[in-house]
Amino acid sequence: MSGFDIKYFIDVLPAIIKALPITISVGLISMILGLVIGTGITLLRRIENTVLTGFIELYVSFFRGTPLMVQLFIFFFGMPQVFPQLAVLNAYQASVIVLSINASAYISEVIRSAISAVDKGQLEAALSVGMSDLKAMERIVLPQALKVAIPPLGNTFISLIQGTAITFMLGLQDIMGLSKMKAAASYRFLETFLAVGIIYWVLTLVVTRMNKHLEWKFSKGGAI
Amino acid sequence: MKKSFLILLGLAVVVGAVVYTGNNKDVENANTNVEAQSAPEALAEAETSTETSELAPISVGMSGGYKPYTFIDENNELTGFDVEVWKELGKRLGRDVQFETADFSGLFGLLDTNKITTISNQITVNEKRLEKYDFADPYVYYGAQLVVKGDNDSIIDLETLKGKKVGVSLGSNYEEMVKAFDVNNEIEVITYESYQASLQDVSLGRIDAVLNDKLAGVLAIKESGLNLKLGGEPVELMFNAFPFVKSEENTAFIQDVNAALKDMREDGTLEAISTKWFEINITEK
Repeated sequence: MSGFDIKYFIDVLPAIIKALPITISVGLISMILGLVIGTGITLLRRIENTVLTGFIELYVSFFRGTPLMVQLFIFFFGMPQVFPQLAVLNAYQASVIVLSINASAYISEVIRSAISAVDKGQLEAALSVGMSDLKAMERIVLPQALKVAIPPLGNTFISLIQGTAITFMLGLQDIMGLSKMKAAASYRFLETFLAVGIIYWVLTLVVTRMNKHLEWKFSKGGAI
Repeated sequence: MKKSFLILLGLAVVVGAVVYTGNNKDVENANTNVEAQSAPEALAEAETSTETSELAPISVGMSGGYKPYTFIDENNELTGFDVEVWKELGKRLGRDVQFETADFSGLFGLLDTNKITTISNQITVNEKRLEKYDFADPYVYYGAQLVVKGDNDSIIDLETLKGKKVGVSLGSNYEEMVKAFDVNNEIEVITYESYQASLQDVSLGRIDAVLNDKLAGVLAIKESGLNLKLGGEPVELMFNAFPFVKSEENTAFIQDVNAALKDMREDGTLEAISTKWFEINITEK
């Protein structure tokens, strides 16, 4: 029993990889929805309305201020006690929704800081040639902000992918959930969790690579 | 306008998804209606098609990490004592059985939100649980057992556990058992998500003992090869059953399950399943 069973390690790796589509799809869909919601929130923040701004600040503060696990439990097990309609959501849908909302809070902060990193003169110049505020944001400010935002957005995506590791709590058969079951059946903890760790690591390397590529592309002054 | 269009599109997708799932009032159907989850070969979600029936499948929740009751084998198939009992029950009830695996800590949440029909994970009947759930007739009788490190002769019962650390599974009945005995808080209870991880910690000396059921203990000692042994005699006799959310529909269904269980007990099927996984019949007192 003692020692590292290399044969088991080699066998368990492909077995865990079979669950990879779940992990990747949850991470990717949540990232896309998170980007959309996060950008939307940032743009809404520009509207001068105390109630709206207050609400958005509360939203961002809550979802950055509580652990993902708490949010998953509240949403999946807690909320249906008050809103029975929510009980029809399955583990996959609930995970995507919670991860998207969670990511959107972080993303909105990233985009907000990226926008403020763009020289104020850019917006002023755009407005002075007669662009509307939204058009100036879309054509002038956001493309420049995006360049600044790409590295931290890559970070958010990596955290998001690793955040999917706790969704087995809800019954989602992701790579971590499968690994937990494999480890329990074989008593091979080191091999199993090392295997799943390497899979997460490789995923992160791929994301880092893609992010570098995007950074390079946008550094040439490309637009959206 | 590209950006705002994207935002609108995104919101539409979210709202659409919520409306779509919200309309789907039939809770039992929702579980089978998982496009995304079932698409990339949901591995451990073994489905048994015994007989085709128009009724929604019985959705049975389990941890998939409690050998030999529920675990995934080398071929990534969900198997074990509980799995086979339910496959047989499904056959006799003329219903498809669908197994849902989730962390033990999430199982009762899934039950409460009607995402599963029942839990088959050696759930012990106790007063607290009886207040909240209706149980089918017991299908397993057992004694709670301490497992200690191979060279430990000092721990033989709950009394000798005082001043020591004992591992129990999160949300399991053993935690309550220790706490009911340990009124002065002299025993340190460490909760684990995984039974196997707690055994690992006993063998590493991180904790002094694990309290769990005797059979799982005997088997784990044999299989894991860890330096472990049983600590004393079984602590208490208990029985396990399937919990259901209290409802009229379930009351009727529990009677059907009980009848099928009785059949299985009388014709020896239950015993046969038991002796396949254990050396003895765990389904009798």
